[in-house]
Amino acid sequence: MTALMQPGFWVFILTMSGIYGIFSLGLQIQYGVGGILNFGHVGMMALSSYTMAILIISHGINFWIAAAAGVAVAALGGAFLGLTTLRLRGDYFAIVSIAFSEIVRYVIYNSDGLTGGVQGSLAIPVIGENYPSYTDTWDSIMNRARDILTPIFGEIADREFVMAIVVWITLGILLLIVSRIERTSWARVLRATREDDEVPAALGKNVFRFRLQAVIIGSVIGGIAGIYWGLESSLLSPDDFLTLVTFYGWMILILGGATKVKGLPIAAIFFGFLYGGSRFFTFWPFSHLDASQRAYVRIMIIGIVLIILMMRRPQGIFGKRQEMVLE
Amino acid sequence: MAEFVQLLFNGLVEGSIFGIAALGISLVYSVLKLVNFAAGDFLTLGAFTTFFFATNSHLPFIVAVLLSMLLGVAISLILEFIIWRKLRKSGAGMLALFLVATGVAFVLRQSIALIFGSNSRKFDIDQIKTFEFLGAQIAQAQLAVLCCASVAITVIALFIKKSTIGKNMRAYSDNPSLASVSGINVDRVIIATWTISGAFGALAGIFQGTVQGQFTNGMGLDLLLSILAAVVLGTIGDAYGALIGGFVLGIVMELSTWDALLGGIPSTYKPVVAFAVLVIVLLFKPEGIFGVKARKI
Repeated sequence: MTALMQPGFWVFILTMSGIYGIFSLGLQIQYGVGGILNFGHVGMMALSSYTMAILIISHGINFWIAAAAGVAVAALGGAFLGLTTLRLRGDYFAIVSIAFSEIVRYVIYNSDGLTGGVQGSLAIPVIGENYPSYTDTWDSIMNRARDILTPIFGEIADREFVMAIVVWITLGILLLIVSRIERTSWARVLRATREDDEVPAALGKNVFRFRLQAVIIGSVIGGIAGIYWGLESSLLSPDDFLTLVTFYGWMILILGGATKVKGLPIAAIFFGFLYGGSRFFTFWPFSHLDASQRAYVRIMIIGIVLIILMMRRPQGIFGKRQEMVLE
Repeated sequence: MAEFVQLLFNGLVEGSIFGIAALGISLVYSVLKLVNFAAGDFLTLGAFTTFFFATNSHLPFIVAVLLSMLLGVAISLILEFIIWRKLRKSGAGMLALFLVATGVAFVLRQSIALIFGSNSRKFDIDQIKTFEFLGAQIAQAQLAVLCCASVAITVIALFIKKSTIGKNMRAYSDNPSLASVSGINVDRVIIATWTISGAFGALAGIFQGTVQGQFTNGMGLDLLLSILAAVVLGTIGDAYGALIGGFVLGIVMELSTWDALLGGIPSTYKPVVAFAVLVIVLLFKPEGIFGVKARKI
């Protein structure tokens, strides 16, 4: 229980919530506005973080360029997914998009030379040395920020603390941008396509192009989440990018009310507590379980929450029911 | 040549398993408009419970198989009564169905892990016994699976085609409101659908466990993508299409590793091949091999 008392743990939860919040925001613009069921969103996160890490470690490229390239590759991934399959009916697209992210993971898993494969290390370290790091530049920025913040906040301002602030500022900026986008005429057309294809098409709108743009914008946001994910974990593994993660994003989206952005940060924090806090289920009846069994229980609880949420309150905490039932 | 025969045979065996699993998913979709993402974990459940009944409880293998199929049916029906029925009544949309199915998959998978642990299992079957056929090594276990699967496929295909329930199922999936005003007992149709899906899911899992030798609690999930590819390839909701889609994918996936085809691809990429095939088919013939329109815009 002592770990629960440490502020460092809660700061970590806050960082993870923020990253998942950004990730989920990418789904928000696709589903909340465009009604697109993208279940392969985690693939964009995998593409951006691996691209960044490979460029830095294997090619010695500047961190900022590598991070930008990572987000660009995620956008390309979204464009590829959209161009090949977005003309399909919604349920077909959902299945093929899952496949997309799983294929990304398979390729990462099996391309040892490029990605480090199962080891997730990108390169085998020389004996006696650490794994090659792609976070050096970022770490030095974090450390400098920490040195500035420590006099103000005291002990609590460690690297994690700075990371949490940066992640949440990013989420805040992205939320502002997305809610701005959602008031444009572009979003109104997209929202119209969610209810019905025929009317916008009859008005001369290219429905396919609008949806493609929504997927690409969502993928860019997912890519940004991937960059932070990579920086936070500092060691990538293909198992970080299971389809499970996409559904975490969906859960946050539904909790917050899919058609509105304002509930999203609160939903992200709720998910963060559920995800991280359940690590400390050491009381009865969970006290009979060992650590790996508790990990099973954690995902089980997330599954149960997802089921109950969809059955009882599909509009989430802040959403409008009418907008959810009319899919 | 020997390698070709070997791969073709492996493909047939794998295809029959895909086909059986895909049929369950497609049938559930045709009647309930639900893509059952939990289907993969029903495969895992079937394999693990069979192992439990046969190896731990020392029941005859065939009894263990039947009990596992029964358990698959029971769980499918329980889920129908506590979840799916309520969701249908509340008019849940596609997203709600997708997400609840995923939630069910999470719960099922973690329960299996919690109850049976994370160790790999192996049926008490002779895996090594093989005989030669046209230069290929045919394992007895594989041949047994292929025979049993063929029987199961024939039985189910005839059932859907000839039996009253089967006809009702097809009628209901074509036009639910017309079917229910014509006096078709909708509840019976839905229960029959889940029964077939539960029993065949377990059976496919047992077959896969037999062919594969060792299996872990991730088995069903690993197969789910290829099975979904088979479902879409044969047009979602078309039971016969799913069977054919399964065989086509099974054979294509195995043959893609053939040396004579530009050296073949590494066998770890087989699921990627499944989806490459799927994407190509969807691009040029978006309605799947047979059926209705899948392209919306």
